[in-house]
Amino acid sequence: MAVHLVPNTPLPLLGLAVLAIVMGGVAHASAQGLPTEPISIANGTVVLGGEVVGTFGSEDPGYFNYTDYEYSALRNFRMGLTAEVRANAHVQVLTEIRLDQGHVFQPYGLYVRVRPWAARRFDIQVGRIPPTFGAMARAAYGSGNILIGQPLAYQYLMSIRSTAIPANADDLLRMRGRGWLSSFPLGDRTPAAGLPIVNTSRWDTGVQVHGLRGIFEWTAAVTTGSLSDPRVQDNNHGRQLAGRLVGRPTAGVVLGASVARGAWLDAGVDASLPQGQSTGQGRQAAVGGDAEYSAGAFLVRGEVIRSTWTLPLVEAPTIALPLVTRSMLIEGRYKISPGVYAALRGERLDFSTITGTTRTAGWDADTWRVEAGVGWSVIRNIQVKGAWQHNERNGGRVRVDSLVTAQVLYWF
Amino acid sequence: MVLRRFAIRAAAALLVLVVGPLAGTPAVSARQAPGAGGIRGRLDIKRVARQADRRPDVSAPGAPGPRDLMDLRRGVVYLDTAPRGAFDEREPGRAILDQRNETFVPHVLAVMVGTVVDFPNSDRTYHNVFSLSRARRFDLGRYAAGRSKSVRMDRPGVVRVFCDIHSHMNAFVLVFNHPFFDVTEPDGRFEVAGVPPGTYTLVGWYEGESRVTRPVVVPASGWADIDLVVP
Repeated sequence: MAVHLVPNTPLPLLGLAVLAIVMGGVAHASAQGLPTEPISIANGTVVLGGEVVGTFGSEDPGYFNYTDYEYSALRNFRMGLTAEVRANAHVQVLTEIRLDQGHVFQPYGLYVRVRPWAARRFDIQVGRIPPTFGAMARAAYGSGNILIGQPLAYQYLMSIRSTAIPANADDLLRMRGRGWLSSFPLGDRTPAAGLPIVNTSRWDTGVQVHGLRGIFEWTAAVTTGSLSDPRVQDNNHGRQLAGRLVGRPTAGVVLGASVARGAWLDAGVDASLPQGQSTGQGRQAAVGGDAEYSAGAFLVRGEVIRSTWTLPLVEAPTIALPLVTRSMLIEGRYKISPGVYAALRGERLDFSTITGTTRTAGWDADTWRVEAGVGWSVIRNIQVKGAWQHNERNGGRVRVDSLVTAQVLYWF
Repeated sequence: MVLRRFAIRAAAALLVLVVGPLAGTPAVSARQAPGAGGIRGRLDIKRVARQADRRPDVSAPGAPGPRDLMDLRRGVVYLDTAPRGAFDEREPGRAILDQRNETFVPHVLAVMVGTVVDFPNSDRTYHNVFSLSRARRFDLGRYAAGRSKSVRMDRPGVVRVFCDIHSHMNAFVLVFNHPFFDVTEPDGRFEVAGVPPGTYTLVGWYEGESRVTRPVVVPASGWADIDLVVP
């Protein structure tokens, strides 16, 4: 659904230009007219917010940070505009539009929020809705991310695709560590980017209900796509069910659990399958747990996710199902002084083992990432971050990749 | 227009900074100062500011909870230059800037240099009070309901206070080197008491800017009555 507005602009040049503009304006930004608060129109009937993020990173030959074949999360210029239209106390329309890479326009979210009882914390959201699963979806925003890289589970491209599947275990093993551009013999044979466990590059479409009672907050959703492949238009006549429960037993402690299950394969693959086989057999199921503790200058978060995928088994050597991926993340932030903090994140992705003709290995390459960085708030809503990121995996052409990255962020 | 507003803000900040180089003065404003007479009147705010909205949180699964409204009817009136003796050594005092229902209460606090401002958390959730203002940079970290942390205001100036968790929370602390100031009542009334006889410039401040100045003559006895209008 992304629309390319102008031809590709060399990102380093664009990035430098943006950096110069932003930093040039920083000194007097608060006084020279850049908004510092959301913009209200018609006495608050329409409220606009925004985020502008310039991210500049060194070469990533291993494609560890790519969100698809062309776009790295560490080389991006993004302008996001959010709008809330308050029809009345019960109905709001919310939308977010983005301009990624400086030229790719994307309506990221668009939904109606209905609050049937104004005094009760119960909402129904219908449309292209925010993710239900997991605690780290907000890391897709510069202001919601204590570092620069996005969490592996929400960004790293595994080899599997919704539009093409392996015929056997050898096909899958051949693509280990090549999720940025994988190809399989069944379905669309054109090489294309694989899928992350939870895709936050785009949102799913459906209905979401959310409530809050005491220390508990719950969310449930029915959507068209799947965790890995959120969609606007249905591609398999399947639905995803997702739920999340969050508890806040005491101040500073947040505990969460998430589940999701849905059809993930594109029905277009069916034409390539032998009789009796169907993409309807393809299911992604995931469970996740997360925890956060904060006090004083410290913030610590952790999240574990286990996701499984099933797919049609076509020929020997058959793939041991389900395919399993386990993700672990822990991150922390410490505020050194007013406006300055240091942050650290460690992550790991593990994959279940399958056996091919000549070898037994994880169906994708196990991957580790460590990222350390600092953030500095020049003023309240302009922040500069710098980070060093180290990636490793036990498969693929490039197995070790260290990067230096910087980000300038402005929001209102 | 933007440059003009910037110039006014800069001038206001400069005025506060040049009010006096001495420190170590008490927290009380002139309203509690001894001595009869002074300056009184009304700061007439023609257009009360609209409360800043929350940032649209499109990524949230539901609407945020209710919050209190800030009292945006109050401004601050002060002398831009203080009379001799205004900087005498006095005991530093304390003031409170509370956090309730995702709102700082009061929205505007005016204190003297040396005042210790307490930031109790009277809310149900965590807050993280901070300021990146030149007059006082601080970050109190996250702390729970029922707890309080404090900051001593060491330098004159405007300290803009925010919450790191709730971006819509904000407040002003105006720090003066002298006691001749007052936070106005909701109807705009003010009293700057104990001002020695003489000619001064009175400043009306509202929502981050010095919006109006007027010369005023304080008689040997009694009050000088003056109204200021913030357009």
